[in-house]
Amino acid sequence: MARILIALFLALPLLGHGMSKQEAEALVQQANTAYSGSHYEQALALYDSARTEYASATLFYNIGNCHFKLNDIPRAILFYERALRLSPGSDDIQANLDLARQQVVDRINALPSFSLGNTWSSFRGGRDVDQWARRALWGCTALFVLLAGVLLVRANMVKRMLQVAAVIALLFSLMATGFAAVRKAEVTSTDEAIVMQAKVDVRSEPRDGSTVLFVLHKGTKVEVLQDANGWNEVRLPNGNVGWMPATAMERI
Amino acid sequence: MRRMQRHILTLLVLLLGTAGGYGQEIRFNATVDRNEIATGERIRLTITLSNTRERFEAPDMGGLVVLQGPFESSSMSIVNGRMSSEVTRTWILTATKPGTFTIGPAKVKIGNGIAQTDPITIQVTKGSGPPPSDPNAARGQARDPNLFASITLNKTKAYVGEQVIATYTLYSRYNNIELTKYDLPVMNGFWSEEIATGDRGWEPQPQVVNGIPYNVAILKQQVLFPQKSGKLKITPMELSCIVNRSFFNRGTEITLESNATELTVLPLPSPAPPDFNGAVGDIQMSVQADRTEVKANEAIQLHVRFSGKGNLKLLEAPDLKLPVDFETYDPKVTDKITVNASGMGGSREFEYLLIPRHEGDYDLPGIGFTYFDVKSGTYKSLSSPPITFHVSQGEGSSSAPNASRPGRSDVQVLDEDIRYIRTGDPQLRPSGSLLFGSAPWIAGMAAPALAFVLFLGWRRRRERALADVAGTRRRMADRVARKHLAEAGKLIDAPDRAPFHSALSKALQGYMADKFQLGLAQLTQPMVRERLATLPDGQALADRYVALVTACDMARFAPVEEKPRQQLYDDAADLIGRIENAYRANAANDRK
Repeated sequence: MARILIALFLALPLLGHGMSKQEAEALVQQANTAYSGSHYEQALALYDSARTEYASATLFYNIGNCHFKLNDIPRAILFYERALRLSPGSDDIQANLDLARQQVVDRINALPSFSLGNTWSSFRGGRDVDQWARRALWGCTALFVLLAGVLLVRANMVKRMLQVAAVIALLFSLMATGFAAVRKAEVTSTDEAIVMQAKVDVRSEPRDGSTVLFVLHKGTKVEVLQDANGWNEVRLPNGNVGWMPATAMERI
Repeated sequence: MRRMQRHILTLLVLLLGTAGGYGQEIRFNATVDRNEIATGERIRLTITLSNTRERFEAPDMGGLVVLQGPFESSSMSIVNGRMSSEVTRTWILTATKPGTFTIGPAKVKIGNGIAQTDPITIQVTKGSGPPPSDPNAARGQARDPNLFASITLNKTKAYVGEQVIATYTLYSRYNNIELTKYDLPVMNGFWSEEIATGDRGWEPQPQVVNGIPYNVAILKQQVLFPQKSGKLKITPMELSCIVNRSFFNRGTEITLESNATELTVLPLPSPAPPDFNGAVGDIQMSVQADRTEVKANEAIQLHVRFSGKGNLKLLEAPDLKLPVDFETYDPKVTDKITVNASGMGGSREFEYLLIPRHEGDYDLPGIGFTYFDVKSGTYKSLSSPPITFHVSQGEGSSSAPNASRPGRSDVQVLDEDIRYIRTGDPQLRPSGSLLFGSAPWIAGMAAPALAFVLFLGWRRRRERALADVAGTRRRMADRVARKHLAEAGKLIDAPDRAPFHSALSKALQGYMADKFQLGLAQLTQPMVRERLATLPDGQALADRYVALVTACDMARFAPVEEKPRQQLYDDAADLIGRIENAYRANAANDRK
């Protein structure tokens, strides 16, 4: 009985996935080889099959490169944005995204926003999406170990140091938890999208025939505010708001 | 006298000898005094043959009536020992009916060939009585036969950019003519370039047009380059001149217009090659570097020379794909372009100064050039062979530290491309899975806190226990007694009996002392009985205890063992267990 339970428990993580991590990594390796031989379509197909069940900044970045090479700029931007979400502040991703954005028709003057630059965003982003969650775990463990130490140790000097360290650990784990929460919100948010149609009319109301407020072109990034029967209300970086069909965009 | 005769003879021979070799070219032409008449008017036809002794036949008069003639006159002259002769025959002709008449060519046999004059066309209009007194007025404004101008093109069809030569000519029969002004046509759709006529510009040349001799002056010649396709019209040239001005006469001002003409311009075939730059004609290219082995920072002269016919002046400097480490300046352009009666031609040379900044081998790719070849009607591409430059280390360009040396330069960005894919560990994770907020994470966060709480509890209990020595002693009594019992158990089979019994007694007494907080001195029978009495079934336990201790003491000091050691040992262990159980049961009752 116990043996059956253990077997079930081991199999549990596999039940959700038709593909093992090793298989997916092998697919990515094949795709890399195809890419280096300039077979971009083939590389893209391989990456996409790995993407059905796995995700990573590297995978999205490579997919973005394939789309760029195949001259599908909006999709390249979409995947660079996705990669940048998983790994904010990454130099390579940002460089390619900038290059892809140069080919976008719409030039929108963004309202001035507060940014601390790449170093900050890559610090805030961590090496992967779970890094801050792991740090929170470590910080929490360290905090209680230190507290226990404070109670056990009698020497005054050491006790004082442990107290300071415990305060630091407390602050660190609070910060890490906060960052992890923000990262989760960022990664799982669906309120940004890339325009996929060559040209799309943005209207004042969510129905055909209403006033066309402005026209967007493929590759432009918009913020999605709400959706209603197949239409999404979008906001541009310059603050303009309007409705466009949900099919004309893809969420990041 | 005889001698005199001989001299004359010699002179004659000399004369004849000279005459035998006509040095002048043979001229044979027919002229009329006018070629438009009314019926009844007269025309004078003059045919002149010079420098030959052959005789010519009269031409076919083509329906015109000979009124008089032919009158024949001849002349001979010797200039600088060269003799020329001329025979002229003149007819006076008239027409009896209106129409177009053609005077046929007159022919003469010269050597093995036949020379003939040009045919002359005469327009005869219906006369109205006697000939008018002023011929100029009578012929109306249509065209003054004595003065007209024409524009002629050397071809009627041309490609866009192909050169066409336009000639503006003035024909005049007036003796004295003064050109006061002329307006060349406005050239819409052409780029034009004047042909330098040089010194001979205004010198009139005699020329016979339809039988009438004119003085012909080429006013101007232009090379035209059509810039667009279609039928391009050239408007008439206007000019005015004063004729017959002399000392006694103010002269007459005549204003006239030339003919208009047009040119059919064919478009260049499409699609044009991408590097086609508008050059049309017949063009060659040569590329030459003055040397290919240089030291760094020394100059190389590169000559790119285009030569041939065509719109050379429109050629632009070719785009050199220079290696990055080469510096260059705007090329020096040297034109040797002439514009003459055969069109624009010559050469245009671009001289580049190239300065390699670093040593190494550099390839200058071939220079490509495409032009439209008018003759074949196709595009032709020329390309020069690539040139390899070997640049050796120059003075001061290498490792010598020099702040101002020109050798250092920024890395130049030639083109932009996306960065390459990442090929390392892709760090795949199941999509949608996040550690934060997941059950393992919450468990991981809670675990240290939980552990800490447990730690606090353990610590509190321990502190309380440390503070309560008696309680500890009581709690530990069982454990200590079992330790002593175990020591006694090892001595069961020992040869000496005292140590076993001593250890057993110590275990029992120690247990009692610990359990009931008694000093060793207090371990008297009554005290033990009193304490055990508090426990359920205490009397029996006390009896067993006293019996066991007594047995141990007896065995220690008496000469015989009453009971086997094993039995004593088991008894002691059982007793301690029972007392412990009874004590716990009692404590449990108390807590209730």
